Amino acid sequence: MGNSISKVMGKIFGYREMKILMLGLDNAGKTTILYKLKLNKIKTSAPTVGFNVETVSFRNVKFNMWDVGGQDRLRPLWRHYFPATTALIFVIDSQDTERLNEAKEELYSIIGEKEMENVVLLVLANKQDLKGALNPQEISDYLQLNDHLNNQLWCVIGSNALTGQGLVEGLSWITNNTKEK
Amino acid sequence: MSRSASLLNSYGMHVRPMHSGHGVSLPKKSPSVPDLNRTYLGENKSNVSMMSEPKPPNSKPSLVESNSVEDATDLSFIELYEEAEEDENGSGSTTPMTDPIPAAVSYSSELEQTTNSILKDLSHFDRYGFKKQSTYITENEYNSWWSEYSQYCIRRKRKWQDLLEKSGLSTNNDSPDRFPPKSEKLKRYVRKGIPAEWRGNAWWYFARGQEKLNKNKGLYDKILNNLNSSQNGQLRDSDVIERDLNRTFPDNIHFQRKSDDTEEPLMIQSLRRVLIAFSIYNPKIGYCQSMNFLVGLLLLFLDEEKAFWMLVIITSRYLPGVHNVNLEGVNIDQGVLMLCIKEYLPEFWHRIMPKQQARNNEFLYKLPPLTLCTASWFMSCFVGVVPIETTLRIWDCLFYEESHVLFKISLSIIKLSEQELSRHNHHNTRSRPPNKDDDDIEIFQIIQTFPKKLLNPNDIFDRVIFKRRISFNNLNQEEIDRCRKYVTSQRLKHKNYTELVGDKAASSSNRDSKMASDLINDALSSEVYGFKKSLTGVHWNNSIKEKVRQIRRR
Repeated sequence: MGNSISKVMGKIFGYREMKILMLGLDNAGKTTILYKLKLNKIKTSAPTVGFNVETVSFRNVKFNMWDVGGQDRLRPLWRHYFPATTALIFVIDSQDTERLNEAKEELYSIIGEKEMENVVLLVLANKQDLKGALNPQEISDYLQLNDHLNNQLWCVIGSNALTGQGLVEGLSWITNNTKEK
Repeated sequence: MSRSASLLNSYGMHVRPMHSGHGVSLPKKSPSVPDLNRTYLGENKSNVSMMSEPKPPNSKPSLVESNSVEDATDLSFIELYEEAEEDENGSGSTTPMTDPIPAAVSYSSELEQTTNSILKDLSHFDRYGFKKQSTYITENEYNSWWSEYSQYCIRRKRKWQDLLEKSGLSTNNDSPDRFPPKSEKLKRYVRKGIPAEWRGNAWWYFARGQEKLNKNKGLYDKILNNLNSSQNGQLRDSDVIERDLNRTFPDNIHFQRKSDDTEEPLMIQSLRRVLIAFSIYNPKIGYCQSMNFLVGLLLLFLDEEKAFWMLVIITSRYLPGVHNVNLEGVNIDQGVLMLCIKEYLPEFWHRIMPKQQARNNEFLYKLPPLTLCTASWFMSCFVGVVPIETTLRIWDCLFYEESHVLFKISLSIIKLSEQELSRHNHHNTRSRPPNKDDDDIEIFQIIQTFPKKLLNPNDIFDRVIFKRRISFNNLNQEEIDRCRKYVTSQRLKHKNYTELVGDKAASSSNRDSKMASDLINDALSSEVYGFKKSLTGVHWNNSIKEKVRQIRRR
C-alpha cells in the first residue's frame, strides 16, 4: 500500500523515481560524489570493487544511483545491467589529461550501447579544484559532444566532489530534462 | 626468517627491511614521505610495535630498544594486554608494558609533543591501525564492543596456549610457527579466532606457504631485481597499480601519508613491490582491483615475500580464476553461490530470481544483478565488506578450511539479514512491488550495507556457523568443487551455443527453451551437482529432482 500511496502522491506532487548509472574511469571520483550527495560527507576513497547503490532524494525525485567500479577489466561484470536507466552520469577527472582520451573512448563505447539510446547524459568535469584541471568547456570540446551526439540530451558541468560544487546543479539538470514516466 | 635479517613490523612481527632489501626503485609518482612511525618515533624505528604483545614476564624486550612513553595507556590495546598479564600473574602488572611505542633515541621536546598528540590520536584507531569509526559504526559503539571482545580474545589466546603446550609445540616467544595437525578441535579453535599476534604465522602455516616458498626460493627477490634493471616503469599494470596504492586502506595509519612528510609510507612501498612483482609473475592475472586489499591486509601480518606467496596461493588455490583477465572465475563462483542460495535460502531465492530464469538455469550465465554486490565479497575475500575483526576471522577459517568458507559466510550474511529483508518485503506484500527494480534496489542496499555493521565476528559464528540445524553448515569443499565444475561446464556450453547460433537467436524464446532443455538433459546425464545433507543421507538438489519428474511426465 505504501507504494501505491506514494504513486498517487507522486501523481499529484510530481514525485518520481529514476535510475541513474554513474560511470567513469577509475579514480574519477564517482564514489566520493555518491556519498557526498547521500551523506554530505567525504568518505575516504577506496577503489570500488563491484557496485555501490544508494538512493538520493532531491526535491521530489528519488534517484537510485548505481556507482560502478572503475578499473576497465571489471567493466564486463556490469555490462548487462544497463536496462531501464534514465540518466547516465559520466564522471571525468578533469586534471588527468593523460587519460582523457581513454575516458572519451569509454564514454562513446557506453553511449553506443543499444540500452543507452534514450538516456540523458550528464558529464561531470570533476576535480575542478585541482591545479591544471580543464574547465567544463574544454572538456566538452575535447569530448566533441557537439559533433557526435545529435539525438541525445547532454550537458557538461564542472564539479568538485569535496565541496559538492556542481552536484546539485547536475541533479537539477537531470530532473528538468527527463520526462515524467 | 632469522631475527637479524628482519625488523619488527608494526605488530611486532617480522618484516624484511624494506629500504635496502632489494635495491629496487620503482617509479615514484609523488614525492615520498616517511611514514607515521618514522616521523614520530625516530629514524630506524619505523617498525615498532603498535600492538603490544603480551610477553612472558622475563622475555627480552622487543628488538628495538625503546624508551617508555608514559602516555601510552591511552591505547586500548595496551590496556587489554596489561589486564591480561595481571590476570596471569595474579597481581598487578610486574613487567612494564609501556614500551609498545618506543620513542626516538634522540628525544627532543618538540618530538615529545608530537608523540603525545599522536598517542592521543591513536585512540581513534584499532590494534591494526584502522580507524575505529566507519560510516556505519561509531567510535563509541566500537569501544563498548571492544571492551568485551578484548576479554574474549584474552580467553581464547589462553586456550590456544594450552592447546599448543599439550601438543608439545612451543609458543616460540609468542610467535609460534608450528601448529597442531588438523582436527575437529583445531577447526573449532580457528573458527573462534586465531590470536591476532599469531595470525601471520598461522595463515602461512595452514596455507602451506613455506612449501610454496621452498620451491621458489629467491624468486621474489629475483623478479624485483630484474625489474630494477630493465623494464622499470613500462609495465602494463604499473599505472593501474599506482592509482590504487594510495586508495588502499586510506583509513589505516600505516597506509596514510602525512601531508608534510617527504617519503611515502613503507607499507605503500611494500604494497607496490608485491603487486608489481605479482603482475610479472602471473601475467594471466596481472593486476586486478581488489588484489590491493588482499595484499594490504597480508602485509599487516606477514613480511613482503610471504605476502607475495600468499597472494599466489590465494589466487590459485582459494579463488581460482577469480582475478583472471576474463573474470570467468568470478562468474563461476557467483553461479555457485546462486545454486547455494537456491538450495539453502529458497525464500530469498524467490525474491531475487524471476521465475523464467530460475526454471531454465539461465541464471548461471545471466547472473542476477545481486551478484554485482556479492562478486566483490569473493574478489576481496571480504576485506572492506565486513569490519576488520570479522574479516580476519573469515581469513582464519579460509586458510584452514579452504574456499567453501566464503560461500558459507556469504550465505550466513544473507541469512542474518533476513529480518531486515523481510521487513522490507512486508511493506510490499500487501500491494505487490510495483516493479521488480524497486525491490531489487532495496535488496541490493540491504545486502550491501548489512555486512558493514557486523562488527562482532561472533555474530556470524555463534548465530549461524556454529548452529547445527542450519543446513548449509554441512556444505563442504567437495560439494563446492563439484558445483564449480558444473557451473563451468554450463557456462561454457552456453558460450559455445551463442557463438554458434549468434546472440539474437539464442535469446529468442523458442530456441531458448530448447537449449535450456538440452542443458538440463546434460545436467541430468553426467555432471550433476548436488548438495549432501548429512543427516538425511544423500539428496540430489530438489530442483533437479523436480526436473526429472517433469521430463518423465513428458
